[in-house]
Amino acid sequence: MPKVHINGIEVEVAEGTKLIDVFLQNNEDIAHYCYHPGLSVAGVCRLCMVEIEGNPRPQIACNTVVQDGMKVTNKSESIKEGVKWVLDFHLINHPLDCPICDQAGECGLQEQYMKFGQYDPEMGERKVKKRKVVDLGSKIVLDTERCILCSRCVRFTDEVTKTNELGIFNRGDRSEIGTVEDKPLNNNYAVNTVDICPVGALTSKDFRFQQRVWYLDDKATVCPGCSTGCNVNAFYNDKGYFRLKPKHNEEINSYWMCDEGRALYRHANKDVRLLQAIEKLGDEQQYLAPGAAAKKVSDLMSSVNKDKVAVVVTGQYSNEEYATLFNELLKPKGISNVYHWKNQESEWNDFDDILLRGDRNPNTKGLLSALDAANIKTSWADLEAKLAAGEIDCLLVIGPEIQEYYKDMPEKISLFSKARKLIWFSANPVEGLSADYIIPAKTYLEKNGTIVNYEGREQKIQQMKTIVSEALTLSDLSYLLVGKDIPFAGTAS
Amino acid sequence: MSIVKRPEIKNTWYLPAILSGMGITFKNMILNLFGKRQMLTLNYPEEKYEYSPRFKGSHVLTVKKDGAIRCTACMLCATHCPADCITILAAEHEDPSVEKFPISYEIDTLRCVYCGFCEEACPVDAIRMGPEWQMPGINGANFVHDIRALAKRPNLKGGVISVVDEEERHKAGI
Repeated sequence: MPKVHINGIEVEVAEGTKLIDVFLQNNEDIAHYCYHPGLSVAGVCRLCMVEIEGNPRPQIACNTVVQDGMKVTNKSESIKEGVKWVLDFHLINHPLDCPICDQAGECGLQEQYMKFGQYDPEMGERKVKKRKVVDLGSKIVLDTERCILCSRCVRFTDEVTKTNELGIFNRGDRSEIGTVEDKPLNNNYAVNTVDICPVGALTSKDFRFQQRVWYLDDKATVCPGCSTGCNVNAFYNDKGYFRLKPKHNEEINSYWMCDEGRALYRHANKDVRLLQAIEKLGDEQQYLAPGAAAKKVSDLMSSVNKDKVAVVVTGQYSNEEYATLFNELLKPKGISNVYHWKNQESEWNDFDDILLRGDRNPNTKGLLSALDAANIKTSWADLEAKLAAGEIDCLLVIGPEIQEYYKDMPEKISLFSKARKLIWFSANPVEGLSADYIIPAKTYLEKNGTIVNYEGREQKIQQMKTIVSEALTLSDLSYLLVGKDIPFAGTAS
Repeated sequence: MSIVKRPEIKNTWYLPAILSGMGITFKNMILNLFGKRQMLTLNYPEEKYEYSPRFKGSHVLTVKKDGAIRCTACMLCATHCPADCITILAAEHEDPSVEKFPISYEIDTLRCVYCGFCEEACPVDAIRMGPEWQMPGINGANFVHDIRALAKRPNLKGGVISVVDEEERHKAGI
């Protein structure tokens, strides 16, 4: 294993490591735009220059492989001077768009300028004007003027999605990135190019002008969009949730996530949430507090023979919630009619060879093992037969949190409506549903828990901003349905 | 601990003090009556005080030469506002050279502390604190001023033009 000196610190690194990785692993500041650990090395931005002892001229760290005994520094005066001038070259044609640019606040150029620059530009020439606000399909807006031609996005479409939409056109200072004839960039991983863009050349239409990034906090969680379980950061503030971004996890999603997953903050925001429980009284609807509704449902369940109570569960809740459901509600009450609602089961083994899997439930594994542990072996046909025969008096549906992935929703609603009393647990209003009780649920961003992905890896989701504080988790609902109080957050398992 | 002085003999006589005080009052009254000295009080609201042009009074949103609002909705004023009284909603402009503009810009003047940080933070001279200082209202008056009140109120006579002009900047090659 070669040993290298980085700014005076001796570190031992694996054979074949790039110098820039050694810097990044040891938290040493090194300027870089074109280098991205998830992509190949281009070496075009020339910003990660370092001085290697015995080498007459500066080298770029991203394209230099470590050798034993290397003594490397990027703190010398000549390197600082060099970085300053390279930054000045990058800024020659960069417009003064910071006030209207969505990247401001998380922009590589701004950070570098504050660290190494803070000088007046010494360029006498006029800036080259390029095309602005180029519409690249439904997800992305391109500003060719802001681009510093680091080619990260081009390499992303070449290497990760292998769709090759983006390229660099023209020559010299008129070079610009783009797609052929401005064809839309609509592949399912396109918004990753926005994340890796170190400047504001590519911006996401979904997030564009919604918030300035410095108003947002972020916390790590797991994407609930499919059984892959990509690690994500959710960005939120007082007004709600605004975006999801991938979080690096080499074993699951590397640096990427799909665009379908990025939309999964919207259903958590207040404007589309179910804020109160709804009780159907004849043709009218009555709104009541979720806890009160749960109390009424609890009375209803107690008044019905336990063989005539059925529960339908979906794989969109956490292990802890399933454990509470089975141990606190179903086992004490002796309810054995528990059915697993599997959406599009035939597609469950589909895989797009990057990240997205056909099983659109984040915790199918967790639910299956909870069903095994409770020794429940029921088939969906049973439920259909019982409903058709009118043998179900009270049906509790632990509905899917992300409803758009359940394409069979209308058929299932008409099937479930055959039950005498239908209780639906859902975070958002369900279209076309007229249940006796609809109880609001918390979303995955509002609770702690564990979910298990397709390969059996357990991952934690965590509570961030609570949007609807009255809404219940599945655990809360289970406690209330057996007539217990919800334990305090500190004491809940 | 305070030291209490025993009153001197001459201070126990209050009449001389009252008389000298009345003397000052009547002297000033007579001087004011015959206008020999400028009066310190104003007959508000008929007479109004003229503050210096640097006075930080009610906010003005400046406009471009074509009359459109100058603000680019960068939110720097809202970020710096210590009273958190500025609310901006940004939107996409149909003209790509403008790109971003405020679809709504509101200042809650009752929360505002008139510190002038918004004026200092603005990169395009879009908000200024003008010399106006009379913003009274009676019951039910709206003290949350929107773009109409901030940029186009009658006192501004059609709007104040910003000193930062995008076209001139482009011509200068910036």
